[in-house]
This record gives sequence, C-alpha cells and structure tokens, in this order.
Amino acid sequence: MKKLALALVAATALLAVPATAQTAKLKIGAAPYGLNAEFMQIWSAALQQHPAVKNGDVELTVFDGRYDALVQNDQFKSMVTQKFDAIIFVPIDIDAGATGVQTAHDAGIPVIGSNTRVNSDLLSAYVGSDDTVSGYMEAKIVLDKIGCKGNVVIIEGPIGQSAQIQRLEGNKKALAECPDVKVLEDQTANWSRAEAQKLMENWLTAHPGQIQGVIGQNDEMALGAIEAIKAAGNDVKSFAIAGIDGITDGLRAAKAGEMTSILQDATAQAQGAMDLAIFYAKKGDYKPESDIWAKYGKDMPWNDGKDKEYNVPWTPVTAENVDALLATRQ
Amino acid sequence: MVSMSETRSRWFTAEQRRALIQEYGIFLAFLILAVILSVSNEFFLTPGNISNVLLQTSINGVLAVGMTFVILTGGIDLSVGSVVALAGIVSASFATTSSTAAVYGAPYPVVIPLAIGVLVGVACGALSGLIVSYFAVPAFVTTLGMLSAARGLTLIYGGGRPVPALTPEFRWIGTGHVFGIPAPVIILAVIFGLAWWTLTRTRFGRYIYAVGGNAHAAKTSGIDVVRIRFAVYVISAGLAGIAGMLLSARTGSALPQAGIAYELDAIAAVVIGGTSLSGGVGRITGTLIGALIIGVMNNGLDLMGIQSYYQQVLKGALIVGAVMLDQKRSYGA
Repeated sequence: MKKLALALVAATALLAVPATAQTAKLKIGAAPYGLNAEFMQIWSAALQQHPAVKNGDVELTVFDGRYDALVQNDQFKSMVTQKFDAIIFVPIDIDAGATGVQTAHDAGIPVIGSNTRVNSDLLSAYVGSDDTVSGYMEAKIVLDKIGCKGNVVIIEGPIGQSAQIQRLEGNKKALAECPDVKVLEDQTANWSRAEAQKLMENWLTAHPGQIQGVIGQNDEMALGAIEAIKAAGNDVKSFAIAGIDGITDGLRAAKAGEMTSILQDATAQAQGAMDLAIFYAKKGDYKPESDIWAKYGKDMPWNDGKDKEYNVPWTPVTAENVDALLATRQ
Repeated sequence: MVSMSETRSRWFTAEQRRALIQEYGIFLAFLILAVILSVSNEFFLTPGNISNVLLQTSINGVLAVGMTFVILTGGIDLSVGSVVALAGIVSASFATTSSTAAVYGAPYPVVIPLAIGVLVGVACGALSGLIVSYFAVPAFVTTLGMLSAARGLTLIYGGGRPVPALTPEFRWIGTGHVFGIPAPVIILAVIFGLAWWTLTRTRFGRYIYAVGGNAHAAKTSGIDVVRIRFAVYVISAGLAGIAGMLLSARTGSALPQAGIAYELDAIAAVVIGGTSLSGGVGRITGTLIGALIIGVMNNGLDLMGIQSYYQQVLKGALIVGAVMLDQKRSYGA
C-alpha cells in the first residue's frame, strides 16, 4: 500500500513537471484581417518584436484572415482546437467577427481586440485608436491651413467600414466649426491611390481653380490626389492636403511638405494587445513588457490591465518627427 | 450584313436598319453618350477633360487590346490584373531611388526597367499560353491560376510593400506629354495601331480569327493552332506588363494591391465592343470604343458628382446589353 502511494506521488510529480513547462510557454494566436497592406504588416512585425515573443516566453502564430470574415471564423475554430492561451483579433467586419469571439469565449480563451472593432461584449480588452479623433484632426489641419473658408473635397474609404464611418464623423465635426467652408465633392475611392487619382483628376476639371483643400480619409488616397494635382500642372503646395495612417509614402510626402499625415501607431496597437493577451492568459499575474506604455505614459496608462478599452493616441506627422518615423521603416 | 452600295442606293428596310444598329450600334451608343454628357456638363468637352478621359482609358485600353486577341481565339485571360501588379513592381524595383526597395545597382537606365516589365509579362503569358495550348487546360482555369500565382509573387517580391521614389525618366511614360498629348495615350495609340494592323492585314491575324471561328477546321487547313493560341496569351500578358508600368509610373509608386479586378474592365471593354466571347468574331476598333465608353461614363458621372456605385450599375447594364446585341447578331439575322 505504501509502495503504491509512493508510486502515485512519483507519477503525479512526473506528470506535473511537463505540465508546468507547458504553462510557462504561452501559445498566443494573432488573427489580423489580412496581410496585403503595409499597415497590417507593420502591426504583425511589431508583434514579433514584442519582448515576450523575442525571449521565447510566448509562442506566436499569425493567421492571415485574407479579408474574409468566414476565413477568420475558421481560424478561431482551429485556435480553439489547438488550445491557444489567448487570441489577438483584428476583425475584417464589425458584426461577423462576433461569432469568432463567441467561439473562443465558450472555450474559455480570452480574446483581445486590436485596431478594428467588433460588436461583441465578450472581448477581454480592446487596444485601438479612435477614428473620429483622427478624422477631426486631419480635417482641422486642412481647414486651419485654408483659414476656415473656401472649398474642400473629401475622399472617403469604402462606405460602411467602421473607419470610414468614424473618420467621416470626425471630418464633419471639424467642418461644422467652419460654416464658410463648402464641401464641393464627397466620394469613396475605396482606400485606393489609383481610384483617388482618377477622382481628383475629374474633380479638378469639374471645379477648375476652386478646390483649396483635400481631406483624404487615408494616406493612399491623399497621395492619389497629390499625383492628380501634379499631373494637372498645379502646385501641390498651394493645396491643403491631409491623410491618415502614416504609411511610408505618406511620411515621405509629409517630409516634402506636400501633405500632412496623422500617424496611427500600429506598433502600440499590436504590442499593447500582446501585453493584455499575456496578462489575461496568466490570469492577471503579469507586468507589461512593451516600452509603448512608457512612451505614452499618462496618455495611455496600463492601469494594472483593468481597463476594457485602451486608446492609442494619434500623432500628427511634423517636420520635427518625420525623420525619426522614417528611420523606423527601414 | 448590308453592303455599302445597297445602303447608298435607297432607304433602309426595317431589317437593314436592324442590321446596321447591330453592326454600328456601339459607335452610335458612344456618340449618344458623348452628346448627353457634353450637354449636361460644361466641362466635358474641354480639351483638358478630353485629355483626362483618354489618359484614364489608356491602361484599360492597353489591357483590352491584349484581351481582344485572346477572346478572338475563344479563350479568356483572367490574369491580367495580377500581371499588371507583378510587372509594375518588378520593373519599379529597377527604377527606384529608394535604398530599401531597390534591386542592387538601381536605378538603372530607363530602358532596363521597361524591358524587364515587358519580359515579366511575356514570361507569365508564355507559361499560361503553354498550359492552354500545349496541355489543353481550359483558359479560364489556367489564367485563374495565374491570377492567384502572379498576385502571390507580387507580394513575395515586394515583401507586401510598395516600391516608391521612381526615377523621373521611368515616370515619364505615365506622366509625360508629347505635343500636349499624355504619353500613355500615345502608347495606347501605337499599340492599338499595331494590333489593328496585325489583326486586319497579316496572315497571323487571319489565323487568329480562323482558330476562334473553328479550331478543327483551322487545324485541318494547316494552321498551327497550338502556336496561335500560345501567341495570344503572350501578347495579352506582355501588354499587361506595359499596362503595369504605366500604372506605377502614373501613381508614382508600384503598389502590390494594384490592378485588382482590372481583368473585368478589360473583358467588359472587349464585350461592349462587340467581340464574341465564343471567338472568331469581333473587331479591335470595337474594343477601343468599348474602353472609351467605360472611361467616358466614369469620367462623366464623376463630373456630375454621381456616386461611383451608379457607375458600376451602368457598366453592368452596358455589358449585358452589348452581349444581347451580339446574340441577336449571331442567331437573329
């Protein structure tokens, strides 16, 4: 009997060792909506650069959602089957994403939202930037530059996407403060540089010499407008042009004084979400390791991981910070 | 079909009128559209806007010319949008001053990136052409595969990032002017002229129609059907290579997500232009008008401030309407 008890103790001890070894290495999955564009590439690269991933505490797997809500839901199912410890989620669709979150929640896996929103109250936390703020900021910059009077055009993202809706809301808020400014045209170019270029070429024809400002809801489209203005033989610097995101080409154009960009900090959104994912996977026994918390300080406090929502501040790209930002893109 | 001497000699019968509308309906539709737009918008007929329309039509025009060759043989090329992106980004990497995106030694003299862009297209086309002609895999399947593969290669090659800072010499093909005419328009005109000559004045052109009309008959009369089929995919993708360079030269940066769904507009131009999807019937002039109709429509609706969603609905109606005419021509008369 004594021998049996000893054997049992030994056996549990043997079993316990690999069990603790397994919990030491966390399996965290990241599900971004798609990896074809620059912003999500910077976001994914930032996850790989997180201290906990680099030192091997976390085993990170990034799933490419291929811009398809169904693909993302399937990826959630496979992460549940493979017993991931936490999931970082960037949904393509605000409503369709809720199914995936539910799946993970049912399996007891915490889900941290990042960058884009999902209509679900089952998220453990969300790290993103408020698009209404950036929409307001960029429109304000354009309107200040033209002295709160004159004509502007707005180039919008795909109608119905959360970023388009919220950035437009911000655009309109700034426009309401300048009742003398007329919006001559307002159309979507689906985040695309080539589409925005065509649109702007046609608008310059329809309103010769009348457009003073261009509010592009992202950098790509602002850049398309710049190309159209150049092609029409106009001086880009006589226009007030702004975009959002801080993509590399946008930074370059900002440096050349052709436009203003509002940087969306993909690194902070990714690494902040990673810290929260580890925090929830370890059931609160964790101090954040990314230096983004120190960078933003009181503008985005960690608050012991207790907040439901973390708002990464937007940074206007200026002559002072543009070189440092470009240096991070090598 | 109505011959010219008959039409001149007396008033048209109802049947002849119908035949005329079917034959020249596309030119008529284009004229009507142009008149409506000139009346409804004061800027439509300005030289600046005409230059804009031609410029905005040039890339789709180049693709549509290549697509006409393929469709005349009864095939289809779904891969051109992806080839646009691949050729655009590979050629740009030889023409950029950006140290991060450049191939070692770039920027090279402008002929090198230009040649490489065409070569990338030709290589894609040669592979598709070989699979379609020699291995007899349906064109739809082959070029669908190429659509996916070329897009993937584009993302691999550029690491998913754009290639910016192209040299002024390279950008000239997209932004330059000759006697006030935009360079892409001249390039389209030259390509169109060569295509028109090839299809109407050469033996190769006649063989293309013969293969599309009846491949079996063409083969028994001694035409090398495999070679003709191979050649049209090389032409189409080669032109897609040129279109890709025009696009990156125009936008100033080669983007990995460039050219998505461009094949659809190219096919639309060919179909609106009256070329039969079953092959053997059609004219390159129709394709040019088809491309112009799409360009004029988008431009006109933009000038009037109408949402682009309506443009898509109208384009859809045009495509189906044109094929309805095509069907009547094949089975009606």
